[in-house]
Order: sequence, then C-alpha cells, then structure tokens
Amino acid sequence: MMDTITNFSPLSSLSPECSRRRFLGVSGVLVLGASLPVQRALGQTAAPTTFAPNLWLAIDGDGTVRATVHRSEMGQGIRTALTQVIADELDADWSRVEVVQAQGDVKYGDQNTDGSRSITQNYDRLRAAGATARLMLRQAAAKHWGVAVDTVRAGNHEVVHAASGRRLGYGELASQAAMLPVPENAPLKKETEHRYIGKPVTHVDAGDIARGKGTFGADFSLPNMATAVVVRCPWLGGGVKSIANKPTDEPGLVAIETLDAAPSAGPVFAPLGGVGVVAEDTWTAMRVAQGLNIEWTGSPNQTFDSNELRHALRDAVAKPGTPVPGSEKGDVDAVFAAGGTELSATYETPFLSHAPMEPPVAVADVTEERCVVHAPLQDPQSARPMIAAQAGLTPDKVEVTPTLLGGAFGRKSKPDFALEAVELSKRVKRPVRVQWLREDDIRHDYLHASSAQHHRAVIDDEGKPTAWLQRSAFPSITTVFAAQAVQPAPWELEMGFSNLPYTVANQRMESAGIRPGARVGWLRSVCNIFHAFSANVFADEMASAVGRDPIEHRLSLIPASGKLKQPGQPAPPGHELDFARLRHVIERVRKLSDWDSPRPEGVGLGFAVHHSFRSYVATVLEASMANGRPRVSNAYVVLDCGTYVNPDTCVAQMEGAVVFGLSLSLYGDIALKEGAVVQSNFHDYPMLRIAEAPATKVELVPAQGRLPAGVGEPGVPPVAPALSNALFAATGTRHRTLPIRA
Amino acid sequence: MGHKLNVNGDAVDIDVSGDTPLLWVLRDHLGLTGTKYGCGGGYCGACTVHVDGAATRSCQLPVSTLPGKAIRTIETLEDRHPALVKTWIDNNVAQCGYCQSGQLMSASALLDGNPKPTDADIDAAMTGNICRCGTYVRIRAAIRQAAGQTAAGGAG
Ligand code: FES
Ligand code: FES
Repeated sequence: MMDTITNFSPLSSLSPECSRRRFLGVSGVLVLGASLPVQRALGQTAAPTTFAPNLWLAIDGDGTVRATVHRSEMGQGIRTALTQVIADELDADWSRVEVVQAQGDVKYGDQNTDGSRSITQNYDRLRAAGATARLMLRQAAAKHWGVAVDTVRAGNHEVVHAASGRRLGYGELASQAAMLPVPENAPLKKETEHRYIGKPVTHVDAGDIARGKGTFGADFSLPNMATAVVVRCPWLGGGVKSIANKPTDEPGLVAIETLDAAPSAGPVFAPLGGVGVVAEDTWTAMRVAQGLNIEWTGSPNQTFDSNELRHALRDAVAKPGTPVPGSEKGDVDAVFAAGGTELSATYETPFLSHAPMEPPVAVADVTEERCVVHAPLQDPQSARPMIAAQAGLTPDKVEVTPTLLGGAFGRKSKPDFALEAVELSKRVKRPVRVQWLREDDIRHDYLHASSAQHHRAVIDDEGKPTAWLQRSAFPSITTVFAAQAVQPAPWELEMGFSNLPYTVANQRMESAGIRPGARVGWLRSVCNIFHAFSANVFADEMASAVGRDPIEHRLSLIPASGKLKQPGQPAPPGHELDFARLRHVIERVRKLSDWDSPRPEGVGLGFAVHHSFRSYVATVLEASMANGRPRVSNAYVVLDCGTYVNPDTCVAQMEGAVVFGLSLSLYGDIALKEGAVVQSNFHDYPMLRIAEAPATKVELVPAQGRLPAGVGEPGVPPVAPALSNALFAATGTRHRTLPIRA
Repeated sequence: MGHKLNVNGDAVDIDVSGDTPLLWVLRDHLGLTGTKYGCGGGYCGACTVHVDGAATRSCQLPVSTLPGKAIRTIETLEDRHPALVKTWIDNNVAQCGYCQSGQLMSASALLDGNPKPTDADIDAAMTGNICRCGTYVRIRAAIRQAAGQTAAGGAG
C-alpha cells in the first residue's frame, strides 16, 4: 500500500506551507469569496472578525493579510509579483502577508496564465483592491477616534493619527473596517510612495523550494490515492484495438482501463486516449505500462512525416502566398524588376517540445457529487467546465486548484492530462494521480510548429531595403481548434511578422499554412521565435552585404520617433510599438556589450532586437566555435517592459530566456516519422547544461509610469538570431536553419 | 521483499519489489516528495540524493542495492548546509523550482568534497542537473557565495 503523504481536506485551498502561507479551511475560502453585502444579506449580525472588502485580500483579527493570487506560478514569480502589488497599496507589512492560491472561478475574471499578461491585465485592478482596503482601514480608525479621515494615514500595517500619536494595527481595525461600505475610486499611491512595487522582493516560494517543500503537481496527494501511467497511441487519432497481454495478478495493480481517443467533436483539449494503468504506486504503474503489448487502430496521421512537412513549407515560401491584408506598400515587384543589389534567403525551424522540468501530472478525485482536481494548470478556470464535462457533473460541483507548476511554457494551459486523471478516478472510484513519464511528455506534446520563411530584398548602398518581400509558412495553432483551419491566424502573424518595425518604401508580406499530422500549440513566445529569427538574420545579411556595422545599420531602418501602424488590428492604446523605445534598447545593449570593442580572432558578436508581448528586448551574444560546436561565452540583454513590479524577477526571466533560447538554437529538434515523434527523453532532445550557459548581463530600462508589459516570453525571440549573427561574425558562415549544429 | 534503508538518519523498512528505484520509494512510500522525477533515465538530475555522501541519481538506484548505505535527501539538507540553502533563497535562484532539490543536492556534495570550487569545478559537478528555466548563472553565483561563507563562518 502506498503511504499517504498528506491528509488535507480535499476542499482546502492548496498553498505550500511556509511562514507566510498556510492551508486554509473551508471557511477561509468562503470568507474570501464573500463581499460584505453578501455577509449582511446572510443576516450576519455579529461583527465579522475578517475584513474582506474584495476578492483579492482579507485581513484577519490577528492582522494576518491573505492575498489571493489567481494566476499560476510557473517560475515567472507571479505569486510574488501580484502579492507585491496588493500589499503595496495596502501598506501591509510583507512578513504578515500570506498568499492564497485561487481556484479556477469566473469571479476572478481571466485566469489564463499565458501570453505574458498577468501584470498587464491585473496591475491596476490589484492596486485598486489594495488601495480600497487601505482607505477603509483609515476610515475605520478615523471613525474610532472621532477625527477626520484626512488626518490619519496608513503605514506598515497600521493607521496613525499623527496629531495625537495614536495608532491602531490592521488586525485591530479589521472588524470595524468590515462594517463600512466599500468605497469606489480609492486614491492610489504615488510612484514615489511604493514600498514593494519596483523592488526586488524575494519570491514567496523560494524558502519552500530550497527546502524541498514546495508542492508541485506530483507532490499533492489524497488518502487512498492510486497512481496511473497512460500508454498512448504513437500517432495522433489512433485508438486501442487490442491489448495482447493484460496482466491480472501483478501485486499493486489496481486496474487497466481503455480510454477513448479524442473525439473529433468535444473539448478542444481532449485527452489522446490509450490505456490507463492504475496502480498503488508509480513504479508498478510504470512497469506494467511498459510491458503492455497494445495494438492501435490506424489514422490518417499515421503517415505524417516532419521532413516532408519541412519540404512542403520550403515549397510554400518559394511561391506567392496569401497577402497579409493591409501590409502592401509601394510596388515590390517593380523594384525587383528594375534590379539592383538583391538578397534572398530562406530560413527553417523545426518542431519543438515544451519539456517543462515537471512532466504533466494531475490528481483528481471524482465522486457522484463532486470532483476535486489539483494540478499544475496554467488556466484552472477554463479547465473547470472541461473537467466537469469529463466527470459528468456541473461546473459548480468541480474544484480546480493549481499547484506550483514545475515549468509550463504553454504546455500546461492544455488540461488534457487533468482530464485523464478525472476519467480514471471516475472509473476506479478513488483518487487518481496521472503521472506522465518524460517519454510521454516529449512524444505527446502540443508541439511548437515547424516553419519556413523566405525573405527577398533589394538594398541600396547603405544596406537599406528599397523593397522587401517576406513570406512565412507554418502549421497554425488554430488547426487544433478547428478541423478546417489551415491559414495562419492574424494574431500569429502579428508575432513578429506583419509588425516588422522597419521603414521600407516597397513591402509585401505573404503567409501560407499547412495542416500537420500532429497537435501544435504555443510555446514560450510562440511564432515570435521563428519570425524574430528570420527577420533579424536577414537584416544582418543586409548589413554585411554592404560591410556596415549591424547595429548602425539596424538603427538606420528604424524611425527616430513615432508609433508603428501595423496592418490589421491596431495594438491597444499605450501598447503600440514605439520606435524611440526600440532604438533605446538597441543603443543600451550596444553599450552594455561593449559592442564597439574588437573581440579576439574567432570570437564574434551577434545582435538581435524584438518587440513582443508589448516589451522591447535587445540581445547581444558573444560566440565562437570550439571543438566543432558553437560556444556562447557572454550574453547581454536589455529589457524595456514598461512599469515593472519585481526587477529581480525581470532580470531572472531574461537570464532564463537566454538559456531557453540557446537550448532551442543548439538542440531543439523534434522529428516525426510515420506519425510518431522520434525523440523521447533528454538524451535525444537535449537541453542546455550549466557548462554551456554564458555569463549573462541584463539591464532593465527604468520605465515606471509606462504601462506594464510582458516579461516571461519576450526574452526568448532575440536569442537564436543573435547566436546565428554572432557565429557569422566569428566564422563567416551563415546559419539559416535551426537548430545550429555546427 | 523487505528492504532496510537508512534515510536521513532514520532506519526504515520498505516492502517493495527489489527493482523499485529509490526515487519512487522516497516519493511514494516515505512521503519525501522533495526529490523529483524529471526523466527516469539518469539524464536530468532532478532526482539527485546523497548516497554515502555522493550525489547520486535516485531514479537509477534499485532499492535492493541500498541496504547499509546512508541516504540523504533535500528534506534534511539545511541541517548540514544552512549557508547553501540561505544563498539559494537570497539569490532567488529558483524559477519554477522543480529542478532545484537536485541542484542543491549536487551543489552540497560538491562543497563537501571541494569547499572552494572554481567555476570550472562548479560546471563539472553540476553538469548532470538540467534546469529548463535556465537558472544556471544564479546557481553558479549561489555556490560561489556559499563557498565564501563556508570558509568564513564554518557553516555547512
Ligand atoms: S529523474 Fe533521475 S536523472 Fe532525471
Ligand atoms: S527552476 Fe525550473 S527547471 Fe530549474
């Protein structure tokens, strides 16, 4: 029998233990969800001891502040950053703030932790939440003392009446504040008054993690829980035809369950189906699963070959594609016909797997009345109705609580693995943890799409393009949503393709799509990866064609000021691409990298810049060839993400993005043959290791006062082109295909 | 099928098949979930523990080979390496954190045998530990810093 590790009530809200966090019982969760009018409507006469003016915070009588974080933590520090915002405007003492992880619930608004937008979307509303509470605490104190509100101020977990020297702690004020009506438009602090926003606060989970106490998906357990490993069909769309050898007397084996293949209709992120091996412990499930001899049914995807797809993508960009509406400027064809110095190049990138350090895993407990899921989900809210459908329950009977995500990069916004746990728990009538093995993770991912780009330009004596034609072809993510979808969606093209920030008098952009025989999905920075790669390398090719310094050249292509008018949907106000900010990160990275100082023979500097997720990132890599392999010695990154909450997190995300970007630049290559992914684990899908990680310097542009932008993703796109350009500078060899092997 | 193990100084008796890797004994049978599964193939180091003081991949160790050996896991690392744990926290080394137990077990074994490692020593000792989030520069910094404290304060 498997020992149970924890015995927390399944109704409890999971938050890893630590001084500032704790498990909350049912009442804590309900209090959080209730606003004051609701409490009054319930006929509550006694003064509540907890002050919970909104969804985001509650203050107990002992002064403990519970801040609710409704986004998922995957290493981007969001549990810390959102709490910084709330605690700052509340003027709370950081050591008395606990973090409560929200369950998936529409009451929070969007909970999709994707697209590097948690701060962009929540900065203002969480500041307002904290400020509202602060005002109410001041009102409560003023009322208690019989003085005017504007004579009292809040500071570090207490309200002070300076004239009389009286002070009351937030805990002491909680029950009185709770009786007050919730005001609207509470004043926000001035930037200079911020105590946590803009400061390098240590992550709330850092202590737990360094002590092995953080609760990731696989670390959560329930009494009487079984563990399952699922064997899935190697090709998409196949199902179980037969199992030749079903063991029956294996000690610790609970059940072998056949799961249906994804229905053609139904939830978008439906499980793949296969054979679920449920056992008392993980090793038994793994061993039995490995020994199964399963015959699979066929599917049209069984002939899918990623090499053939690459040929098809290359062919697609060799001929006219679908013009991006509104992208055409001047007359590209006339300039090409007139002749001049012409450059053209084709770039290729392969499929990639997310490979989060923690493979997908989920715990589900389904009974006839309810369903509880604890899992590393990027979007617990959108998962909830899918889980409900799988469990055969209504969403109100379903609780979905995110654990810590051991990395995600987009993989864990698809809840297919949680749905597997739900189905198996329903079948075996006990809690089930579904554990994906690394091999399952690499083979059955929603892959980052393989792509091809073709660039063609006529340049003048300064390397400036007088005409620029660019084409991009890739299997669109929309193919997983719609059976008929083929063409790249506008939002995919707006990731570094249709919003090219360079001044070109004659310009055309065309795209093409192909339906793949595999699931595609979004991976950290998505289409920006290949679009930034091809555009930045091609720009470098223009500069080198006329012997110009790549940074000088690039600056000459960007207007001195103004905002980009991109084809299609305009960017939200305040988030338009600002040429001055783009130039600024370039100029800063030039200084930071000491760009103008010559490097030794055989060592090259490569530069790339990219605007994505509303942020600006310029990257310089210093690289050489060593023993026939690229070696990156130094990385320099400048980030302008507007207002930032935790500068140290921003720096860490850029450091991590360099490593992530180098992994995909040097190793990332998923191939499919006969519908099946060829790679399976880190021996044939390698990751960058410590000895290959460059020393990294990051500079953050002080831009407080500007709208906050994304941080988790935008560091990735410039890395691959900066490496390619650095290797060209070092060796004279152009690398137009990823990964760069030698 | 009983296997007598010494885990974090405690004698435990585990009734599992002898081929069960130590990783799953720790996680499923002893509730020591700080040690992580990352690949099951000896490639990633997420499952690193100390066996008689050496950093070892627990996913590759059948439980039948372990009687008589002293096994230590992340859960008791701070008792012996408080400075290392502290520098890890102070430097905000962890991003998602999933690899970090393994990183810390490899780092502490390095410092046990080599209190003043060079960057090359660090790279060599830590090369078996993948960090998909890419925290390598902070891992190097934290180890160097902890090594300084080891010399000065005798901690660890
Ligand atoms: S899980 Fe043991 S080395 Fe990866
Ligand atoms: S911190 Fe996420 S894998 Fe290392």
